[in-house]
Amino acid sequence: MAHIITLTSGKGGVGKTTTTANLGTALAMQGQRVVVIDADIGLRNLDVVMGLENRIVYDLVDVVEGRCRTRQALIKDKRFPELFLLPAAQTRDKDAVSPDDMVALCTELGREFDFILIDSPAGIEGGFKNAIAPANQVLIVTTPEMSAVRDADRIVGLVEAYEKGHPKLIINRIKPQMIARGDMMDTSDVVEILAIDLIGIVPDDESIVTSTNRGEVAVLDRNSLAGRAFHNIASRLLGNDVPFLVLEEKPSVLSQFFGRFRTRRT
Amino acid sequence: MGLFDNIFGRKPERSSNVAKERLLTVLVHDRVHLTPADMDQMKREIIEVIERYVEVSNPEAIEVTLTRGESADHLKADIPLGRTRSQ
Repeated sequence: MAHIITLTSGKGGVGKTTTTANLGTALAMQGQRVVVIDADIGLRNLDVVMGLENRIVYDLVDVVEGRCRTRQALIKDKRFPELFLLPAAQTRDKDAVSPDDMVALCTELGREFDFILIDSPAGIEGGFKNAIAPANQVLIVTTPEMSAVRDADRIVGLVEAYEKGHPKLIINRIKPQMIARGDMMDTSDVVEILAIDLIGIVPDDESIVTSTNRGEVAVLDRNSLAGRAFHNIASRLLGNDVPFLVLEEKPSVLSQFFGRFRTRRT
Repeated sequence: MGLFDNIFGRKPERSSNVAKERLLTVLVHDRVHLTPADMDQMKREIIEVIERYVEVSNPEAIEVTLTRGESADHLKADIPLGRTRSQ
């Protein structure tokens, strides 16, 4: 059976779309047949992140409403012949598609692909429900910020309520220097708070912006640390045991000593 | 601010710790679906029950809080009692 993986977060702007594009590409680079679906109807973006915005003819709503065959709406990636995008409609809203439509679509696609990655819209309403309906695995993307983690917690509850098993966590936009200064929650803080399994940590990386500017994805850039982090997540999705990147700078012995001193006093 | 302040712990608490503590509190509330209005109502009812049995010195000083524990979350009520001896 195909892996049908939904990426969601609750909060917007934490990097769901970037993560979907990078994981899809990384999986295709490892020889998998992949389709990425933009489920954010009305706010289409996965196409620009992948640099495929000029090739769109049909979209998800066209498929669901029977104006074209599924295959006709799939846009082949520029580099990888086994990687496809199913774009969202830009001029419709989430009500144009139902959870049952998504299940039927993914069942059909599952016959031809190894991985179906669904980029969920932000929020917990219709669009989110559509996005998780067909999933057999859910990845929750967050950043080490309070509002993102709070929303992620809410999503964990909903995913479990929809009986989608235990979601796995991707912590995005980690800033090691801020963590070293004590000004950003670290990986263990976030994992402890959310109490779900971690599948990836991704550093805050300017290469994400420059790649996106060019309509490319960071996993294509050998020098991108974020790209390496996404490759590692893709490998874990394939069942490989890959160690996590070491992003957090170890505080010096001196500051560890003072840090301990400070905690003891409080 | 420098090494000296650091040693004597005068530096403000690290913002990451503040964030974590605040988040844990917010999430306990989120998870039990208790609105601030519900909390107030519950507090009033708790006071009513307690006052049936003991003298509460200052009902305003009662604190009812939700906190996160190791394996379970806790609802804690701190109720200051009057110290007058019974006659």
